Amino acid sequence: MTSLKRILKFAFQDIGRNFGLSFMTVLILILMVLSVNALWGVEAITKEAVATVKDQVNVSVYFSANANDDNVNELKKYVSSFPEVVNVDLLSADSVLDSFKQRHKLSKDILDALAELDTNPFGPTMIIKTKEPSDYQKIIQALNVPEYQTLIEAKSFDEHETALDKIQNITNNAEKMVAGLVLLFGCISFLIVFNTIRAAIHTQKVEIGIKRLVGASNWFIRGPYIVESLIFSVLSMAISIGIIYLALHFIDPYLSVIFSDGFSLTKYYNSHILYLFGSQFVCVLVLTVVSSILAMRRQLKV
Amino acid sequence: MIIVEGVTKVYSKNSVALRDISLHINAGEFVSIIGQSGSGKTTFTKLLIAEETPTKGKIKIGDWDITNIKTDEIPYLRRQIGMIFQDYKLLPQKTVYENVAFALEVAGEKSKRIAQIVPQLLEIVGLSDRHNRYPQQLSGGEQQRVAIARSLAHRPKIIVADEPTGNLDTINAEEIIQILKKINEFGTTVLLLTHNREVVNALHRRVITLHGGNIVLDQEAGKYIL
Ligand SMILES: Nc1ncnc2c1ncn2[C@@H]1O[C@H](COP(=O)(O)OP(=O)(O)OP(=O)(O)O)[C@@H](O)[C@H]1O
Ligand SMILES: [Mg+2]
Repeated sequence: MTSLKRILKFAFQDIGRNFGLSFMTVLILILMVLSVNALWGVEAITKEAVATVKDQVNVSVYFSANANDDNVNELKKYVSSFPEVVNVDLLSADSVLDSFKQRHKLSKDILDALAELDTNPFGPTMIIKTKEPSDYQKIIQALNVPEYQTLIEAKSFDEHETALDKIQNITNNAEKMVAGLVLLFGCISFLIVFNTIRAAIHTQKVEIGIKRLVGASNWFIRGPYIVESLIFSVLSMAISIGIIYLALHFIDPYLSVIFSDGFSLTKYYNSHILYLFGSQFVCVLVLTVVSSILAMRRQLKV
Repeated sequence: MIIVEGVTKVYSKNSVALRDISLHINAGEFVSIIGQSGSGKTTFTKLLIAEETPTKGKIKIGDWDITNIKTDEIPYLRRQIGMIFQDYKLLPQKTVYENVAFALEVAGEKSKRIAQIVPQLLEIVGLSDRHNRYPQQLSGGEQQRVAIARSLAHRPKIIVADEPTGNLDTINAEEIIQILKKINEFGTTVLLLTHNREVVNALHRRVITLHGGNIVLDQEAGKYIL
């Protein structure tokens, strides 16, 4: 108990008396954590961007006016049976007419022409969504059979695919670039952290030797340094989390403009908080504690 | 109490510090070990606290067989011996007070006791007014006195003083020797390693003379001869 108290006392004393070095260590740990989080943030945003675009892609099947409910339902069933299909929406003939009128409410000619007809010229419309944009080709193929030709007036596959490819391409490249940068930055900061700790321990080398010679046990010597590593880890993690949430607070308004479905990095972080910060804390802790134990091992032999 | 049998210490092929040393030191003795620079005095102290292991031979201190001591027993051995190092070995990041207290803290002494003992020790070596300074803010002699205070802290059964007066003027040196004498009167075994002629001659105690790693003389109430 007294030992533990003394170990804690020595740890805090050491931090205070080596304030410059302690400060640098914490600063570099923070930079490392922030750079890793930059990658995570960019990845979350690109994933969301791709998902958003994918979500907007669909195939519309326009039935001819003579298709009856049975035909429509049968086709819906058929399309739904594909494993690639996520969702099939049906718009009735009336609602298609309504939305047509809505769209053209300013052009009197079209509305007049429509009024001339006694029946609804539109058939129902089926909107199909698949998991991947590349699956649409298959669905369109499947509907290209003669027995359906009379029922289907037109199929539109909005030419989103090329746009999607482009976005995918851009985000992939962006992700690679960011990953490369962060990897580089991560490596550099890892080396700096490792060396900072090693330098700190080098200055402690003399101290460790003396402590051994006046009868301190290994744990009494090691304890304060490990406690210090712990304090550095907790401190740098806490400060980093503070900075990250502050940054998210400023980034989120921009994201809410881009993503209509209410995506926010703050929400993303909140929902992954344990995983994100837990794994980072463990990494920082392993880095600091393990490197200090490794560096001390040799000196504790005397 | 201290038994040394046929101890040889070879650092490297061309550096042999001790050659086949044998000696007995009884509990409560005051023994001076003298010899010129490089004769192996410091090496001998390093063997006693298991900082170095003998190349050959055996050392026993009380019930401890130092030659076969387990690594995790070494701290306990060192807490039994009050070592005054020739180069002081003070902790640079700790104050005078903390340096002395450290020797007690490692041994698990109660904080209350430490707060009592340390000021007394600093009083004895005349450093009460310097207790808040760091070692690099002290003169050589002052650092040496801190080292002495620390070695006395846990009331060791054996004091090993390697050149404890090396940086002190005659008056201060005399004071330190008086302290060592007093401690010896209370029953502590004292080993004084020095090349200070006056100090040894004034003591009239057992003197062991080292020369080139050999014991060349071992006299009761001896004199510095070389
Ligand atoms: N770590 C070492 N490696 C190699 N040789 C060493 C080492 N330490 C001491 N020696 C050699 O061993 C011999 C004895 O050294 P030691 O330090 O014991 O002398 P000493 O009697 O204490 O001298 P001084 O009075 O100058 O302190 C010397 O010749 C020295 O060069
Ligand atoms: Mg010496």
